Amino acid sequence: MKRVSLAMKGMAVAATLALSATAMSAFAADDEVVLLGIWPFSGPYADVGPLLDNGAQVALEQVGYKAGGKTIKYITRDSETKAGTATRRAQEAIDGEGVKFMVGPWSSGVGLAVSDVAQKNKVMYAFSGGTEDLSGKRCHRYTFQWAAPAYTAVEANLRVFKKNHPDAKSIYLFIADYAFGWSLQKYAEMLAPKFGLTIAGVDRHPLGHREFSSYITKAVAANPDAIMMVNFGIDAVTALRQIYNFGFTPKKPVIMAWSSGTEELIQLDPEMRENLQVGTNYYWTIDNPENKAFVEAYRKKSGGIPPGYAPAAAYGMTQAILAGIQLANSAEPQKAIEALESYKGKTILGETSVDAKTHQINRPYFILKTKSKSEMKDEYDLATVIDESSVQQPPELNECKDIGGF
Amino acid sequence: MTFLIASQLLNGLATGMLYALVGVGLTLVLGMLNIPNFAHGGLYAFGAYFTYTIVNLTGSFYLAVLIGPLLVILVAFVIESQGVRRLYAAHHDYQLLFLFAMALILQEAIILIWGPVGFSVLTPKALSGVVNLGFTVYPAYRLALIGMTVLITVALWLFLTRTNIGAIVRAGMENREMVAVLGTDINRVFMWTFALGAYLAGLAGGLATPIMGLTPSMGADMLPISFVIVVIAGLGSILGAIASGILIGIAQSMTTIWWPEASNIAIYVLMGLTIILRPQGLFGTR
Repeated sequence: MKRVSLAMKGMAVAATLALSATAMSAFAADDEVVLLGIWPFSGPYADVGPLLDNGAQVALEQVGYKAGGKTIKYITRDSETKAGTATRRAQEAIDGEGVKFMVGPWSSGVGLAVSDVAQKNKVMYAFSGGTEDLSGKRCHRYTFQWAAPAYTAVEANLRVFKKNHPDAKSIYLFIADYAFGWSLQKYAEMLAPKFGLTIAGVDRHPLGHREFSSYITKAVAANPDAIMMVNFGIDAVTALRQIYNFGFTPKKPVIMAWSSGTEELIQLDPEMRENLQVGTNYYWTIDNPENKAFVEAYRKKSGGIPPGYAPAAAYGMTQAILAGIQLANSAEPQKAIEALESYKGKTILGETSVDAKTHQINRPYFILKTKSKSEMKDEYDLATVIDESSVQQPPELNECKDIGGF
Repeated sequence: MTFLIASQLLNGLATGMLYALVGVGLTLVLGMLNIPNFAHGGLYAFGAYFTYTIVNLTGSFYLAVLIGPLLVILVAFVIESQGVRRLYAAHHDYQLLFLFAMALILQEAIILIWGPVGFSVLTPKALSGVVNLGFTVYPAYRLALIGMTVLITVALWLFLTRTNIGAIVRAGMENREMVAVLGTDINRVFMWTFALGAYLAGLAGGLATPIMGLTPSMGADMLPISFVIVVIAGLGSILGAIASGILIGIAQSMTTIWWPEASNIAIYVLMGLTIILRPQGLFGTR
């Protein structure tokens, strides 16, 4: 009887503690806004996770972790670049930590899954990636897309390539075999004829592939005027290194259609970077006061390394969420969303606005030309911005026909 | 199409020989010590990073490939003497946990020492550029790599089959208790076998640098492939590890012709078929 009594007392204490914790959590939620950064701290993009986290922190530090009169409580979870893991952890954070706002992760396939969680839980969510579906056929009111549309990226890459290589007739495509790659491949095949180019061949490779010789042999046999790569991170760096080994570049150009910029280029020897055209959502030398302030703050965190696309995207997504809260002067996700839908202003990218019909953030896409070793002023002076494209996707091509309500 | 198939066979051979080097190292350790060395990928990565560092210090790729893998042996000595050896008598689970932990520690150590961002190593000048083979142009370094790995495997084969130490190693892989009973210091044999496996992994890592580059996760990328090699080869079969390394390399590259998206899966399909049709592996007896 005594043992039962002790057990009952124990349970009662535990229940009381749990209740107190819930009450404290609810109290904290009144004073704080919880923002979740769901980043890949392990898995195929583990090297990018800390960079993303740093980028988000810079955005928060610049506003002193405050927006709309509220304190921002920033928490992180590991997405592992797995849709199942990311959605489970996002849901746990929403249930357990009272998350109302989310940014991340770093893969289109995972981002699409997290977007569903955001909609189901009425959480405001910002993502950056190559899939066109987030602001296309799977659009909804709770999700915003920071990266340029796939259409904008491909159009800029092909237009600049043709301008610089007017005699070029054909390109060969290396495509990362997931949502991001498929989106850009669709527009490459659609837009190539407009620029007088044919597609000499297309090979899709798995995410995390490390041996590209078989693909390169096929591409070389097709004798294209350029190889256009629609892959990212270590995949892109490894492929480019091996393309160089095969002697394709620098004789012929390679287009990195969707590059992280600094993080990828820095891994390549200057000889490997010759005759490259690099398309990217961000490059650290973008000349405006907002970007200069970001680069300076980020470099203090990174030991002097300038930000590439990943930290800039995390910064931009976080800033978009903060702008929504600030403009609405409210920590209610629906009010912040409505406020952000009419946003127009200057960001690290230059003039930026939000398309309220699709939740695509209208922003430029950048084309870089890499520098030779003798042209580089220092080890991070990797490229020059040679084109800034604001050609937006024609509305008839966007499959977001009705973004719906809350 | 014939040219394309011939080119892909060459690609498969070059990649496969590299896989074979890693696979032989793993199978030696598995055959002798009866433990799956999860740290093998980490040792492969350390070989690459040591090579990179020595290239930067000396400017000589050849010197780096000679010295880098020897430094991996030092890492292997520490792992074996401070961890693996203490767990020989313990339950198998402890060895697995220790080596799994070592794999993580080695990867994190790379990030701490060299940073999270990857690097490239240029091919040495004499082996840079391409060779026109008539049916395709092919990087000179990859052709040299095929030659180098053939020489290394022949040397290893001679060492294991024509020397007394090699005979002890092979005997240990067959029946280590019997070797111990015959008066051989089995712990010393274990240590040197572990070191030899690590050396081969480090050598493969060093040779791979101009092709694969360097990233902290490169060991984790290679580890599953090396285990597939051992499963297809059969436990402790060195000849089998060489053959299955080449087989996997060729399977990957040939898949690229008709179904590029499946090139990674192809090797696991091969492994699955081997387990179903010949559970002891293509060259295994136990």
